[in-house]
Amino acid sequence: MALLQHPGYEEEKLQRVAEQLPCREVQAGTLLALMGQPQQYSYPSIFIYGHRASGKSHVMNVLLKELELPHATVSCVECVSVALLFEQVLLSFFGCDAASLLPRSPSLSDFVRIYREQCSQSPARQTRYIVMEKAEILRDTDANLLPALLRLQELVEDNVTVILLSEIVWDTFRPNTGCFEPLLLNFPDYSKGELQQILSQDRHPSYSAEFYSSYINILLGVFYSVCRDLRELRHLAALNFSKFCEPLADGKVKETDTHKLWRNIEPHLKKAMQTVYLREVSSLQWEQIQQMEEKEAGVLRGLSAHTHVELPYYSKFLLIAAYLASYNPARTDKRFFLKHHGKIRKTNFLKKNEKTSNHLLGPKPFPLDRLLAIFYSVVDSRVAPTASIFSQISSLVTLQLLTQVSHDDQLDTPKYKCAVSLDFICAISRTVSFDIMKYLYDFL
Amino acid sequence: MSKRKVQNDHMPSGECVTQLQTILRKRLCHQQLPEKLEGVEAQHKHLLELLKQTAIHGESNSVLIIGPRGAGKTTLLKCVLRHLLEEKEVQKNLLQVHLNGLLQTDDRIALKEITRQLNLENVVGDKVFGSFAENLAFLLEALKKGDRSSSRPVLFVLDEFDLFAHHKNQTLLYNLFDVSQSAQAPIAVVGVTCRLDVLELLEKRVKSRFSHRQIHLLSSLTFAQYLERVRAQLSLLDDFPETKFAQNWNAGIETLCEDKSVKEVLQRHYNSSKDFRSVHMLLMSCLSRVSVAKPAIKPVDLLEASRLCLADAKANMLHGLSILELCLIIAMKHLNDIYEGEPFNLQMVHNEFKKFLQRKSNSMYNFDQPVVMKAFEHLQQLELIRPVDGSSAKTQREYQLMRLMLDHSQIMEALQKYPQCPTDVQQWAMSAFG
Amino acid sequence: MSTSSVSKGCFVFKPSAKKKKRTLTLEDYFADGCEDAENSETRFKLCQDLWDKIKTDTEVLQDELNRKILDSLLDFTRKCSSTHQHSNWASQMRASEIPTAALVLGVNVPDHDMTFQSLSDLLQQSVTPHVVSVQAKECGALKHLMKRVLERMMGTVVAVDDEEEEEPEQLSAQLHKRVHCSLGTLCDWYNTKTRKSNTGTPGKKRSSAVRDEQQQPPVVIIFKDLEAFNSKVLQDFILICSRYIERLPLMFIFGIATSPSTIQHMLPHSVSSLLCIELFQSLSCTQHLATVIDKFILTPQFPFKLSSKVMQVLISIFLYHDFSVKNFIKGVQLALLEHFHSQPLSVLCCKKKEALLNVMQLSHSNLERIRQLLSFKRYVEKQDPQEQDSLLKDDTHLKEVCQKLIKGLHKYHKNYYPILRCLHTLTSSLPRYPLGKQIRELHLICLEKNVWENEDYQSAMKLLKMLAKDELIILLQRCAEILEPVKSKKMNSALVQLNELLTRFKELDTAAAAETAPNVEECITSPVKNLQKKTDLFQLQKTLLEMNESRRSKKLSPFEVLRNEVLEFIDSLVKSHLSPPDSQTLNEVSYYSSSATVRRHINATPRTSIQAALSSPYYYLQNDSLKTEDGSVSNAAPDICIAYKLHLECGRLINLYDWLEAYATVVSAAEGNSPDSDNFGKVDEVKHARFIRAVSELEFLGFIKSTKQKTDHVARLTWGGC
Repeated sequence: MALLQHPGYEEEKLQRVAEQLPCREVQAGTLLALMGQPQQYSYPSIFIYGHRASGKSHVMNVLLKELELPHATVSCVECVSVALLFEQVLLSFFGCDAASLLPRSPSLSDFVRIYREQCSQSPARQTRYIVMEKAEILRDTDANLLPALLRLQELVEDNVTVILLSEIVWDTFRPNTGCFEPLLLNFPDYSKGELQQILSQDRHPSYSAEFYSSYINILLGVFYSVCRDLRELRHLAALNFSKFCEPLADGKVKETDTHKLWRNIEPHLKKAMQTVYLREVSSLQWEQIQQMEEKEAGVLRGLSAHTHVELPYYSKFLLIAAYLASYNPARTDKRFFLKHHGKIRKTNFLKKNEKTSNHLLGPKPFPLDRLLAIFYSVVDSRVAPTASIFSQISSLVTLQLLTQVSHDDQLDTPKYKCAVSLDFICAISRTVSFDIMKYLYDFL
Repeated sequence: MSKRKVQNDHMPSGECVTQLQTILRKRLCHQQLPEKLEGVEAQHKHLLELLKQTAIHGESNSVLIIGPRGAGKTTLLKCVLRHLLEEKEVQKNLLQVHLNGLLQTDDRIALKEITRQLNLENVVGDKVFGSFAENLAFLLEALKKGDRSSSRPVLFVLDEFDLFAHHKNQTLLYNLFDVSQSAQAPIAVVGVTCRLDVLELLEKRVKSRFSHRQIHLLSSLTFAQYLERVRAQLSLLDDFPETKFAQNWNAGIETLCEDKSVKEVLQRHYNSSKDFRSVHMLLMSCLSRVSVAKPAIKPVDLLEASRLCLADAKANMLHGLSILELCLIIAMKHLNDIYEGEPFNLQMVHNEFKKFLQRKSNSMYNFDQPVVMKAFEHLQQLELIRPVDGSSAKTQREYQLMRLMLDHSQIMEALQKYPQCPTDVQQWAMSAFG
Repeated sequence: MSTSSVSKGCFVFKPSAKKKKRTLTLEDYFADGCEDAENSETRFKLCQDLWDKIKTDTEVLQDELNRKILDSLLDFTRKCSSTHQHSNWASQMRASEIPTAALVLGVNVPDHDMTFQSLSDLLQQSVTPHVVSVQAKECGALKHLMKRVLERMMGTVVAVDDEEEEEPEQLSAQLHKRVHCSLGTLCDWYNTKTRKSNTGTPGKKRSSAVRDEQQQPPVVIIFKDLEAFNSKVLQDFILICSRYIERLPLMFIFGIATSPSTIQHMLPHSVSSLLCIELFQSLSCTQHLATVIDKFILTPQFPFKLSSKVMQVLISIFLYHDFSVKNFIKGVQLALLEHFHSQPLSVLCCKKKEALLNVMQLSHSNLERIRQLLSFKRYVEKQDPQEQDSLLKDDTHLKEVCQKLIKGLHKYHKNYYPILRCLHTLTSSLPRYPLGKQIRELHLICLEKNVWENEDYQSAMKLLKMLAKDELIILLQRCAEILEPVKSKKMNSALVQLNELLTRFKELDTAAAAETAPNVEECITSPVKNLQKKTDLFQLQKTLLEMNESRRSKKLSPFEVLRNEVLEFIDSLVKSHLSPPDSQTLNEVSYYSSSATVRRHINATPRTSIQAALSSPYYYLQNDSLKTEDGSVSNAAPDICIAYKLHLECGRLINLYDWLEAYATVVSAAEGNSPDSDNFGKVDEVKHARFIRAVSELEFLGFIKSTKQKTDHVARLTWGGC
């Protein structure tokens, strides 16, 4: 642990830190070096970026907790209002009475004022740290907040360091008039080996370490090319392990017989990729399935498998009409929906030079009247334009089967898009025995 | 404690390093004021004169200090104030009000702050004022009463001056300048801003009241001066308790600054920006490498530090992507090449990717749509791709139009760096056509 | 709630009819303007009772229909809360996920409220006191959602309207000092709550310790309408919650109207990976409707009946427009009201005993009404002359007869429904469902006209004639079960016959064992068997024909003989009991038949009516001067009509000045000054003012709106037209 030794901190604390941060000693070391000794000044603001689950918050928290440095950790998602942010900071630095000094809906100036007052009463003997997780959200709050935080040290004239954690690179943060530039620090992703090492640590108590690590090895073999998120991988590892152990339990193979185990688990993991990895199937269900035999496991269907929706008769046709309207060029409507469309030949109304199909480009917006026109021509019986017909449209919007693209002014001929997939609409039109393929421009 | 150290002249090297760290960190992280400023003597003099006139002769003034970020505007101001306050009557007369555009986001808050800094809260109590002007006038009045002989001069320092110009019809600025024009009370308004076009921001009536004094801090350092300053920043002063250590250290710094590679690095930084604070960052990360074991800054440290500073963040992020995500990026790149940077959606990208898969026999990459979708989402989360229109909830995700936030070179660089990147993917990326 | 469902489109609530509420004036409402005030109270009372019965029964029905799914949901919550506590290796790995129940309820959103209500009640009773339910429309932004959850969880009441205010956390702060709407607050609150029982040290770390000690009730948050939520808000909220999951046993319930896949559409994987989603499917609304009809329509309990037309309307509204059972029942309610309101003779529409009494109370005028009844006239014609005479003259006699007839009507109903069910059981399993799959379809057929004259009925009988023995027996046994509970002579006798037929089948079995029946049987059964498979009409006919061939060719086996006998028996039952109601005398008393009214009320066509009013004002104003042949509007019509008519002739953009000119000419023509007089069609202030008013009225009605493209033009919002 040569990396983690720094004057001003006790050895065994650093030791403990090092143990808790496998494969992150380097980063922890640099951080520690930057932070310097407790009483020394540290750089006013540090920006740490790296992929999710690359141990940003973890390293920060472990360091600050174990070394017992005064710190406030804030997750910016939670701060629905800046007031929360201020309160948390003051709370963890100066106690709740300080926090209660904040006026209702406080401004930055209030915050800084109170901070100054407080720290003049209790000046910092050690550097104070403010850690902001998911800092990217600060960009959406009021414009001054981020620049102010970056130069907080000089604003409050206290030995304080603001540490921003984010998955997103700094360039997207910089306000257009510039600001105090923080010290950038990158947490690189874990290499395959490191992942292996880390995942192997949380092994099942009742199995040997090398057995578990061989399992992890296989797991990575399947998933590494798709996902390097430690959390995801850990989750998957936990879920599929019991399956991996099955042959052992049955006593078919020995722990050492990796190949057999691999052949057993490999297809299973492949299946997991389509189900659990996508959260199509909840982890609970997944475990239950593993209890079951293979044949029942066949019946398992993911969330997206249930796409069937029961709709009122006319809603179905409205949806179909909407689909046609958003995937067919308007000029082709004549050809499709006029009973005797004169001499519009397939050849000369099919434009050859259109390079990409509409199903690649996605749905186009269409006005209400076009929808209704198509609707009246596809629906078999003649329908009175009752209130409920019109209201069904808006209800389809609330159900997110249609989306309203133009502004919500109902009077001003609203525009819609159809938001359902081809399979879905096919299923729908099958129930009303309407051959939609014949009406789709792309499939002529 | 340093007292004691001076007496017996051998302090353990650990102590020395600690001392060193403390001192240098003060400089680098805390903008500790230097003894004397190089390069800006003229400005220093000018400003000092102005403020003196207010502080001593009670003439009102207004001045803008303009210069790029990190050019040392605040430092200059602080130095001047330090000088100013050395004089006795100034010390007991001059009142200071420091406002910052970042904090006082509107004039109401600003006024509260002014009241507080002039500690007049109790005087104001809960009076209600018709207008802002009245209120300010009252404050200044109160000051006058505070010392019946003559009204005390007040120094207003407006940091991030340009932000004040965005306040609702610039009431604060108007009134301050107005006061500074009409000789009600002697005040000096010093605006500090990094915007060279700041005057365009001012309304006519405000501009007309501003005495168009501007002090420009366009850091016109030559590289030699730059280098000199770096040296100065790093080297210890004579008051360092352990002289021997200090000499070694300074010698080390000397050699460092002589070093050729170091010069190159600094040259590069100099060219990118003369802004001195950015070099602070560099030096800081060097300094952090100094330890008992290695009580000196070696050229390699500087090189390493600069490498870190200049590293392309996006490339770093790309390094962490999974193969699948990387493939998608490449597909997007091709789409950009084909359709001249037209926005694309997931369907197209996946289509492009499929084309690539068809061309090659082994199908270890063909994942089904949802998996690709998840990868795509991840890219969006990292803001490597951005939706064209903000509203993402509206349209189906696979049809949401996107733009790639990376350029050719970044992708290529990332591909070079990428750990065991399969050759066929690399070739695909290289290939001109889709 | 009514407003919300208007915005939610086809699931429109009508503001609940006033007559339903029990206030003093209510009866007067009912009384005024209704036919024949004298017995209005009695009618009102009858109506009330019936409706109350229906209402209570529906609620009960709802509950027992939801019972199953709710129970499974409860189990899920229990399981989650338990797994959240006990700590085996795997569940620790999973600890980060928020258990989530995706509850698929179908698109009939108005019906959901009841479900959620009972759900949260059940949860509160049996699982946890901490249940919150939120709707999309009250959670526009994250802070609002937070606020709602916190308030309802911690039981702080906020009186003021909350959509307007800027800083929700302020408000909650006012209520109990300095509470920010962060989940942290909720956590602490929860910990204090749970700590109440055993004394732990305050603070955040403690909660974990507590968990080991004592069972913690989960905190359930119900999102009533997931689709309507803003996905960004939802994502953030879930992210936040996931940070607290190990301190706070949270749990979600998503109310989904469409399909579970919407979750995947709404939430990116990064968020959905924080959930552990379990799926729950509620039974489809069509089944629900079936049960409702079965309980309220197809039963003699309710004296009030719907005629086929009205049934048609209600069912088609259900199937075509909304899937809402609630609205269906509302429709029934409307019909009920209308019936009792408009039909004085509805006093007789009640339980048999009361009806007989009421007959005696009938006033002369009402008796006259009876004499006017179509069915009664038909009845009279059948009688011999002096009987006719006395019927028409002698009130007392008429009353006696009426009693008899009423009895008859009740008997008819008593027998009608069992037989209907029998017929349905027999035919519903036939290939291609000649008489419909659902019993309601059969019911409609029977209401229409004599079912046995229907050719579908014939073909059904043919198919029945081809049934194999075992199948037939099963069906007959089911019929027997249906007839079992019915208390009526006819039915009992029918049951007896049926049973003995069944026994004869049995005997036949034993007999058949001796002779070589089987080959005969199977050669007969097989076609039906493969009929089941191939469902092609032509095929069907063909097989039918060849069956007849074969039948004619060889002599009937005893089984076939018996089968025919059975079928004739069934046929006779049908003929005697399934005659349509309007064949019954006095059926008008209990059958409500004006479908037009119902349609007008429930499935209104506002556009067409407005346009009708504007294009032909005579239709509404009944002013002869407005009467015009062909669509043209007379120039004496109200200004708005003229303006409307003129605007129909314009294109998408209307030049206001031209419009005014045209209007002026028309109006001055109406004023009768001659076309050649100089001030003809001149625009004076009055005309101008009237025109402006007309135009603004049109704008108010949404026919036109001002446009930015051209200043002196307005845009037309209706399309087609003319």
